[in-house]
Amino acid sequence: MFARLLWKLLHASRGRLVVAMVALVSGAAVISALLNLQLDIERKLTQEFRTLGANLVISRAQTVQALSQAAESPALIDEREVLSQVERNRTHEVVAAAPFLYIVARVKAKPLIVAGTWLDEAIKLAPTWKIAGGQVASRGDLTSCLAGRNVAQQLSLTPGSKLELNYLGRTARMTVAGIVDAGAAEDNQLLVNLPVTQALAGLNGQIGMVQLSVNGTPKTIEAFAKKLAAALPVLEVRPIRQVAEAEGALLGRIRLLILSMVLLILVLTGLCVLATMAALAMERREDVGLMKALGGSISRIVGLFLAEVGVLGAVGGLVGCLAGVALSHWMGQRVFGAAISPRWEIFPLTIALMVAAALAGALPLRRLGNVKPAVIFRGE
Amino acid sequence: MFARLVGESFARNPRRKILTAAALVVGMAVATATLSVALDVGDRLAREFRSLGANLLVTSESDTLPLEIGGVDYRPVDEGAYLDEASLGKLKTIFWRHNILGFTPFLDVPVIVSADGSRLHTTLVGTWYEHAVPVPDGTKFNTGAGTTHPWWKVQGRWFHDNSNECVVGIALGETNPSAFAIGKTITAAKSEDTAQTQSLVVTGIISTGDAEDRSVVVPLVVAENLSGHPGKIRQLFVSALTKPADSLSERDPKTLSAKDYDRWFCSPYISSISFQIRQVLPGTDVRAIRRVADTEGRILSRMGTLLWIVTLAALAGAALAVAATAATTVLERRDEIGIMKAIGATNSIVGGIFLAEQVLLALIGGAIGYLAGVGLAWILGESVFGTPSSLRIVLLPVVLGLASTIAIVGSLVPLWRAANFQPAPILRGE
Repeated sequence: MFARLLWKLLHASRGRLVVAMVALVSGAAVISALLNLQLDIERKLTQEFRTLGANLVISRAQTVQALSQAAESPALIDEREVLSQVERNRTHEVVAAAPFLYIVARVKAKPLIVAGTWLDEAIKLAPTWKIAGGQVASRGDLTSCLAGRNVAQQLSLTPGSKLELNYLGRTARMTVAGIVDAGAAEDNQLLVNLPVTQALAGLNGQIGMVQLSVNGTPKTIEAFAKKLAAALPVLEVRPIRQVAEAEGALLGRIRLLILSMVLLILVLTGLCVLATMAALAMERREDVGLMKALGGSISRIVGLFLAEVGVLGAVGGLVGCLAGVALSHWMGQRVFGAAISPRWEIFPLTIALMVAAALAGALPLRRLGNVKPAVIFRGE
Repeated sequence: MFARLVGESFARNPRRKILTAAALVVGMAVATATLSVALDVGDRLAREFRSLGANLLVTSESDTLPLEIGGVDYRPVDEGAYLDEASLGKLKTIFWRHNILGFTPFLDVPVIVSADGSRLHTTLVGTWYEHAVPVPDGTKFNTGAGTTHPWWKVQGRWFHDNSNECVVGIALGETNPSAFAIGKTITAAKSEDTAQTQSLVVTGIISTGDAEDRSVVVPLVVAENLSGHPGKIRQLFVSALTKPADSLSERDPKTLSAKDYDRWFCSPYISSISFQIRQVLPGTDVRAIRRVADTEGRILSRMGTLLWIVTLAALAGAALAVAATAATTVLERRDEIGIMKAIGATNSIVGGIFLAEQVLLALIGGAIGYLAGVGLAWILGESVFGTPSSLRIVLLPVVLGLASTIAIVGSLVPLWRAANFQPAPILRGE
């Protein structure tokens, strides 16, 4: 009986319900899209911040010895030991990790810094590099190198040029694969694969440091650094302060900004749904009067109407959520160029919010309990 | 007559209008707040991004390759070319001088430091902390590492700019904590066999997370004198407020038409600011520190788009709220419309009265909403960025126009339906 009454009620006043449905669906769509965005924004932003480059450095703890040798790769560490630990602890949050060994070699009698690294990983460490010419795709390529922009200018190198590196009587012949415009210290360096510098310096199996680019909030990065430090007790794992501090501060600001905007809109949309449902409920006054005159108890009548708006709220919330997922997908594409993955916890949350707003809007109906049917029918 | 009718209708039964007015006030308050934040956010975030430090690096064009690892130049002092310290004030005379937030010169000198009997090879990093730079227009500009390297931390205090003081890198200090303690005096010499030495009082221990941790940071003038190149610097780091790169800034200025060139020159792109710095400091090479500048540009433009989308959502929410309540008001007054039509009012008069009333309501609600929104934006700015947002009077007409439009559009559909009412059934209550 109750269900049949409910069905009739919903079915008979389709025209008016459309208005309420529009409000509910669009409200739920906006709310779920924004909640989705809020939950995903941190991940998206930390990915964006990775263009800042490396944020963790593994090196030997800085000692007196480091000072006496200055430029010549201060304190060396064993390549195999460190890199095996880095690989073992590598998670999908590690965007790139590369060892470095710097030496000051001579090219045409001019001293210049040669950075030995894994060129395939180093490019991932610094996504803002602009490379003219070709890249060096493999870390096993021992005859190709990348020249920094200033190095190329001063030694008049172009992609394809050949050059000879000299270090303490040893030499290595290289071909320039590409010119790197890094907008950083690499502009003044020649970048080669690690074994080249190791062979030149006679330091087989030794590296100066490892640089890592790790995705995540300052907290997760710190936790990762701690884990790595525990696995490498003699070495120092330290965050690059410039990147870490600025990133943490900016992330906090942006998150707070988006959160406060989302909350404002949440309240506004909630109020809008509430107002629409209140208007709908007030239109039911005459129905309430009629039912009461026919002998329905007020709790039963109000229950019927609350069930009506509850059903409306649930259906509107569900449809709105689906629209919201599409909306947040579009927003992700538009803003970040990558879709925002839908979060399923949004659905119950939004639907509950919509039902609550709808019920709250219908609550004034309870006041009708005190109203005499005759008064309502007279239209007062 | 029309005005009186509208006035009567407006003043009567205020309770009914409260719902519409409240929706208008809340809707417009949120619209004002989000609009003010969206308009401001680029500038404010750009300022926050300066916590990443400098985004431009100025060196001499004819310089040899620096032997730089981890930010310290290991070249002997007699190699390469230098910049003039005296001309740096000109940076504050370029077109975008107010966007230059700070600049810091550097001169690295390899030295031997003696402290309490121990002798160490290290580097003197000569720089400014809080330095008053004379600007050609007669004023002074205070700048230094505090602005361009905000992540540098000093235990104790920084050196005074024109004194024989220094701050010691934390890793260097740990090699002999008693010799490098605050208050001790250390001696720096350019080489083993020179008689020219410089005594320095340690005023603090610096930690930068970079090569400066193994160096001694001194006032620029001390490094200049010890290196034998007074008034000369190697590198200049500039921190400037910039606008994210777009299609115009990517183009080569030489190929731009006169009009586009003016637009490029008068926009604070990183490329136009570098160009202007090169104009006042001839013979220099000005480079964007790509990793900082690019990250900033990307995130700023993304946040800009994001906030406009969120603002649109807020506007849509506000429109929905106002339109829904406006529609209800018209529906509730079907009886009145019926009577009006029964005694001979045309549809246009009925519509006119209702629309005029809605607009009046929208203007009042919009004005109150604007005030509330300004307060909201103030609180938002204060809590997110630490400084309240600026008041934007421009938004008042925008918000009022928006409120009126939404209220009119929201009433149009029910009014159009009202136009088709037959008075008799309505008055019968059907």
